[in-house]
Amino acid sequence: MIAAVRHPVFVGAVAAIVAACAGLLLAAGAGTSPAVAVDALVEGMTGTPYAIGSSLNTAAVLALIAAGFTVAYRAGLVNVGGEGQLCVGGVTGAAAGLALPQGVPGWIGVPVVLIAGFAGGAAWASIAGLLKAKRGTSEVITTLLLNFVGAGVLALAVHEEALLRQPVTSAETLPQSAPLPPGARLPLIGSIESPATLIVVLAVAAALIVALVLRHTPTGLRLTAVGHSPAASARLGLGVARLEVGGLAVAGGLAGAAGACLVATAPYVLAEHFSSGYGFTGLVVGLLARGSLTAVLAIALLFGLLTNGGINLQLAAGVPAASVQVVQSLLVLLIAASMIWTRKGAR
Amino acid sequence: MSAVLEEILSGGVRLAAPLLLASAGELVSERAGVLNLSVEGMMLTGAFAGAAGAMVTGSAVAGVACALVAGLLVALIQAILSVTLRADQIVTGITANALALGATTYGARLLFTDGSSLEGFAALPIPVLSEIPLIGPALFEQTALGYLAFAVAAALAFGLSRRFTWGLAIDAVGEDTLTADRCGLPVRLIRYAAVLLTGATAGLAGADLALAEVHAFSDNITGGVGYLAVVAVIAGRWRAWPTVLACLFFGVAQALQFAAPAVGLHVPAPLLVTIPYVIALLAVSGLVGRSRAPSGLTVPFARTA
Repeated sequence: MIAAVRHPVFVGAVAAIVAACAGLLLAAGAGTSPAVAVDALVEGMTGTPYAIGSSLNTAAVLALIAAGFTVAYRAGLVNVGGEGQLCVGGVTGAAAGLALPQGVPGWIGVPVVLIAGFAGGAAWASIAGLLKAKRGTSEVITTLLLNFVGAGVLALAVHEEALLRQPVTSAETLPQSAPLPPGARLPLIGSIESPATLIVVLAVAAALIVALVLRHTPTGLRLTAVGHSPAASARLGLGVARLEVGGLAVAGGLAGAAGACLVATAPYVLAEHFSSGYGFTGLVVGLLARGSLTAVLAIALLFGLLTNGGINLQLAAGVPAASVQVVQSLLVLLIAASMIWTRKGAR
Repeated sequence: MSAVLEEILSGGVRLAAPLLLASAGELVSERAGVLNLSVEGMMLTGAFAGAAGAMVTGSAVAGVACALVAGLLVALIQAILSVTLRADQIVTGITANALALGATTYGARLLFTDGSSLEGFAALPIPVLSEIPLIGPALFEQTALGYLAFAVAAALAFGLSRRFTWGLAIDAVGEDTLTADRCGLPVRLIRYAAVLLTGATAGLAGADLALAEVHAFSDNITGGVGYLAVVAVIAGRWRAWPTVLACLFFGVAQALQFAAPAVGLHVPAPLLVTIPYVIALLAVSGLVGRSRAPSGLTVPFARTA
C-alpha cells in the first residue's frame, strides 16, 4: 500500500490533479468557466490534426534535449546549457542550410543541416566539457553561463548582415535570416493537415539509441562508472576526461540538432527567440525523468501537449497563456518536491 | 565627451543598483550552499507586488513593503523546496522563475489594464556632492531606493564577512554541511536565513526596477537581471567586494549599449550584452585569477548521509 502511494506515477498523478485545479481557478479568475477552458485546452492539445502535429513537434524538441541530458547525467554531469546549445545549433544549422544552393535535393540538404546543428551544439558543450576535464570547473556553472553567451551569438548572427541576417531592403526588414532552401527543410510526416515533421521520428530514434547505448554497450558502462566515481574509474584505466567531454558533447549535440530542426521547420528562418526557452524546459524534462528514456518521452509528450493546449486556451477561451505556464511550473515544483518520498520508496 | 562619459557612468550606476541589491543577497545564499537561480523570480514577483501595492495604496513606500513581502514569499517556497525537501536546486530555481513569470504576466493582464503611470521614487540629489564633475551625478543623484541599494550591499559585504562569527558560519555551511552540523551549527536554519535574505534583497531590487526606474510594471520587466545577479556573484568569485565591482561593471556595460550610438560608435548590442557572461566564464574557469565555488553549492543537507 505504502509502496503504491510512493510510486512515481501515483505521485505524478496527484501533482497533476493539484496543478489542474490551480489551472481551473486561474481560468475562473479570468472569467472563463471551467468547461470552456478544458474544452479549449483539449482542443489545442489533440483536437485537430494540426494540434496533434504541433504538440508532437514541441514534444520532440524537448525529448531530443532531454535524451542528450540523460547521456551527460549518466556520466555524473548536469548539463544546464541546453538553451545555449540549442541556439548555437540553430545558428550553425541555418548557416549550413543557407550555404546550400536553392535546388539542393532533400536527401543532401536535411542531413547537412542536422549534422551542422549537432556539430555546433557539441562544440559549444565541449567548451564546458574541456573546462571540467582540464581545470575542474563545475559544468553546472559553465553551461549556465554559456546559455547566455549562446543567446548572444544567436542575436549577433541575426542582427548583422555580414553574418546571417537577410539583406536589409527597408526599415521593416526583420532581424532574421533568409528562409532555408526547400531541400534543407524537414519533410512533413503523416497526415497532410498536420505540421508534424521528421523531428518526431528523430526524437524517438535518439531516445531508443541512447537507451540501447547506455544499457547494452561498453560505452554505456564506462559512462556509468565515471558517473559513480571518477576517481575509481581513473584507477581502472578509463579515460575519464574523454568520457566526460564526450558525454557533454553528445548532450550538446542533440540540443544543437534540436535547434537545427527548429530552424528547418516552418517558417524556415533563424530568428531571435526561436528557441522559446525549450532549452530550459528540456533540462527540466531530463531532470524529472531521472535517467529513464521512457520517462523522457512521456514527460516530453506531456509538456508538448500542455504548451500547445495553452496557446489555444488563449486564442479560443481568452485565458492568458501565462496560466498554462503557471500550471506547468506548479506541476514541476510539486513533482520535484515529492521526489523525497518517491526516492525513499525506491530504496 | 565628458558629458557622454558622465551619462554612461550615471546610467551604469543606476542600472547597477538593482543588480547590487539582488547579488548582495545571492552571494550570501550561495556562500551558504544554495544556488538561488530563483532570484530572477523573486525580483519579478517583487516588481509586480511593488507596482500593485503602489497602485492600490497610492504610496510608493507601501509598494516597497509589498515587494519585500513578495520576495520573501518566493524565497520561502525556494527554501522549503531546496532545504527541507532537498529538491534539486536547479530544477526548482528555473521552475520558480517560470512560475513567477507566468503568475505575474497573468496578474498584469487582470490588474494593470489601463497602462497608467504609478507613484514612484524621484531622484534625490545630495546638494554639494552631486556637483562633483563626472562621478557626482552618478553617485549622489539617485533615488532613495538607489541609496538604499548601496547601503544594503555595503552592510552585507561587511557585516557577513569572515571577520564575524556569522560570516564564518555561513561559509562553513556552504563548504561542508555534515562537518558544520557536527560542529553544532544549525545548518538548515542558516540556509533558510540565507535564502530568505536573498528574497528580501531581491524583492527590493524588483521594487527598484518598477518604482524607481520606470514607474510601471511590464511583462517580464526583469528580463534576466536576476540571472545577471547570479552571474555577478560568479564573476566576483564568491567574494563580496569583487561582486560589487562586477555589478558596477555590468551596469556600465549595459549603459554603454544605450550611449554608444550617441557618440556614433557602432558596437553590436549583442556583444555588449554578452560581456558579463564571458567575464564570469573567464573568472570561474580560473583563466583570470583563482576561483573556487563553495564546495557544498547545490548539495542538499541530510544528517543521515
